[in-house]
Amino acid sequence: MNGNSVQILEGNIFVVSDRRGDIETSRTEPNGLFAFDTRFLSKWVLTVDGERLNALSTDDLAYYQAQFFLVPGTGTVYLNPTLSVIRLREVGHGFREELTILNHANEPVRLTVRLEAGCDFADLFEVKDALRKKGTYRQRVAPDRLVLVYERDTFARATHISTTVPADVDEHGFTFAVDLDAHGEWSTVFDVEPSFSAADGVANDPVGAAARKPAHRDMARGLEKWLSAAPRLEADSDTMEATYHRCLVDLAALRFTTLSMPGRALPAAGLPWFMTMFGRDSILTSLQALPFTPELAATTLKALGERQGTRHDDFRDEDPGRILHEMRYGEMTAFEERPHSPYYGSADATPLYVVLLDEYERWSGDRKLVRDLELEARAALRWIDEEADLQGNGYVSYQRRNERTGLENQCWKDSWDSLSYRDGELPGFPRATCEIQGYAYDAKVRGARLAREVWHDPEYAELLEQQAADLKRRFNRDFWVRDGEYFAVALDADGRQVDSLTSNNGHLLWSGIVDKSKAKAVVAHLMGPRLFSGWGIRTLAEGEGRYNPIGYHVGAVWPFDNSFIAWGLRRYGFRTEAARVAMGILDAAAVFAGRLPEAFGGYRRETTKYPVEYPTACSPQAWSTGAPLLLLRVILGLEPEGDHLVVDPAIPVELGNLALLDIPGRWGRVDAFGRGRVDISARPKRRTRR
Amino acid sequence: MASTNPASTRRSKKRSDPTEAFFDDLAARGHEPLLARASGTVRIELHDGRRKEQWYLSIANGDLVVTRRGGDADAVLRTEKQLFDKLVTGRANTMAAFLRGAISFDGPFDLALLFQRLFPGPPPKRRRPATAARPER
Repeated sequence: MNGNSVQILEGNIFVVSDRRGDIETSRTEPNGLFAFDTRFLSKWVLTVDGERLNALSTDDLAYYQAQFFLVPGTGTVYLNPTLSVIRLREVGHGFREELTILNHANEPVRLTVRLEAGCDFADLFEVKDALRKKGTYRQRVAPDRLVLVYERDTFARATHISTTVPADVDEHGFTFAVDLDAHGEWSTVFDVEPSFSAADGVANDPVGAAARKPAHRDMARGLEKWLSAAPRLEADSDTMEATYHRCLVDLAALRFTTLSMPGRALPAAGLPWFMTMFGRDSILTSLQALPFTPELAATTLKALGERQGTRHDDFRDEDPGRILHEMRYGEMTAFEERPHSPYYGSADATPLYVVLLDEYERWSGDRKLVRDLELEARAALRWIDEEADLQGNGYVSYQRRNERTGLENQCWKDSWDSLSYRDGELPGFPRATCEIQGYAYDAKVRGARLAREVWHDPEYAELLEQQAADLKRRFNRDFWVRDGEYFAVALDADGRQVDSLTSNNGHLLWSGIVDKSKAKAVVAHLMGPRLFSGWGIRTLAEGEGRYNPIGYHVGAVWPFDNSFIAWGLRRYGFRTEAARVAMGILDAAAVFAGRLPEAFGGYRRETTKYPVEYPTACSPQAWSTGAPLLLLRVILGLEPEGDHLVVDPAIPVELGNLALLDIPGRWGRVDAFGRGRVDISARPKRRTRR
Repeated sequence: MASTNPASTRRSKKRSDPTEAFFDDLAARGHEPLLARASGTVRIELHDGRRKEQWYLSIANGDLVVTRRGGDADAVLRTEKQLFDKLVTGRANTMAAFLRGAISFDGPFDLALLFQRLFPGPPPKRRRPATAARPER
């Protein structure tokens, strides 16, 4: 995002404006007030006596609040201004803006204050792709309010703008004749409310109602409560503490309330384009945040379970048992011009759903939820075998059935060129990517535990365990690249290995599908110079045909990817390596003031003193926000064992002492302490063979 | 709730009405595993010009009872009869219709999400796309 824009947000709603607080549409920036994937305000421009104002300063007071200090004048010649204009804006249900004008002169002044308001009601997809609208616009004017309405058939969206001080209201805004005494002050408050109904009342407007019922009514108190419920981190390193605080606050900002569970929240994927429920992103972020904010996982599991696929629908790529990929609420989705109602084209969200359910129970001991979601979990496990094995070879593959608006790549590396052979050629479809086989294996192993311990179905548990063992045996045979000693990123439509070396190998460690005998070779690759940049593990290894250090999935380093890889390294006993990956990413986080971007360049650390941010990265992004949290878990070695939390730290010397206090779980609350003892400077053994 | 199922008595003569056929089928099945966790009564109010027809579906842990008359409902679903006919035959999607404002639902939204599980997918023309051959290298 451009440094000139100011964004404030609250889960379902966000506002992007310029530094004066004005909103004008732009091709390159999603300026406006957005709620549920619709722009509810595209013009919001303040003038005094017909002149635009200039920003003296802009303060992001909190993620949901900003304050703009403005003065009239051209900004080219400095004159002592005799007027100050202050706009204090807070996101809640829509936004609330307090406009204050101060007269510093020793004499009275008469001003014409004008606020232009307008809206194009663009679907977020339309903003992205610059598409044209098909419906009609109208405005309704009352002495204290302006209602902007957009209608197309039965579809209606409206923005209600009201002012506490009566104005001369016309179809394009508000005009105030303001008489200010010497050193006087004038103020009004605007309320801007989005609605899914053209009518005045709010009946039959559940979406508007949900927007009005954020998980936390009083924003400041809500944030304080959120922060105090999370464990407290005490660290020798101030930057570590700052990063931790930043992550908790950003996670609070990304809380998204669904229509079915007012008052509860799950993590939305990221600002500005992805403020909605995603299967993969919401699950992985919930996993990262489990030791810190376990309620996100519970809400994610319920919300995704309620929307689990039950039928075959090619347009939505829906199957029985499939967990959704992405939900959208805008006009294009409503008219089925886009399939996101919800869209199911993800091949990893379904196994990951079972993984999260089990991990959540291991931490929380909340068996009731596991019983409540038994049907959904079984349906998800059934999907793996009955729906996702497109090639009949015992592996999960994907190929979209919606060839117009469906997603081609249904794994986390979802760009067009993310999967390639060593020489850079792209495989056809279907594709069976390796990490999804790992997730499927893990889902079966974890499903077996839940079946045995919670659902009391030992036969099903045994079946799942047999299937898991069989999958592991076949996988280690079919995906293992013999001449390189690592796992192929995928099998293509002919069952041939897509043989480039990728970070996906690290996810395989996390899932546990890797034979013990192969782990050492895999780790040598992950920590070797072709994959490890010094900041983190690259998505694709140097030397591969498509490698590009600033290629999205073909060389860039993804913090979230690294957090799961570090978890995998710990799982296989590679403590030093896990600490080294953690330190690289946490060092990068410090450079970005605690807010890690989605991805940064894969340049060698020795070459660039700072990690180079990927150009169009989304920020804050949920799973980047979750990455430092998961890394903390990894280096502290936190692992639930029955009703206890095992703490087995492997902390880099550089980090010094760490204390994580009041970790919530089935044990109540416990503390974890660790001392920085792991020397990560020892060079890893080089391994360049491929 | 009525012990006999009034819908089933009309089965033979109104078989061509998709909505009737849908409720007949629910009544005949009596249980839907996909709703095993749901309980509540939904009143379905269908408008067809000036005409209005009502159905009550009571769900008790997946057990289904269909009636035409009933008392209090936990939720009310209102829409055009024509659209409902499409929903029950898989030719329209509930969530998209809801976002279009073509369906209103007053009541707990999770009940709406569970209720729509009863609707089938689009009419079968389903086939897997032929597996794509690997491009020439």
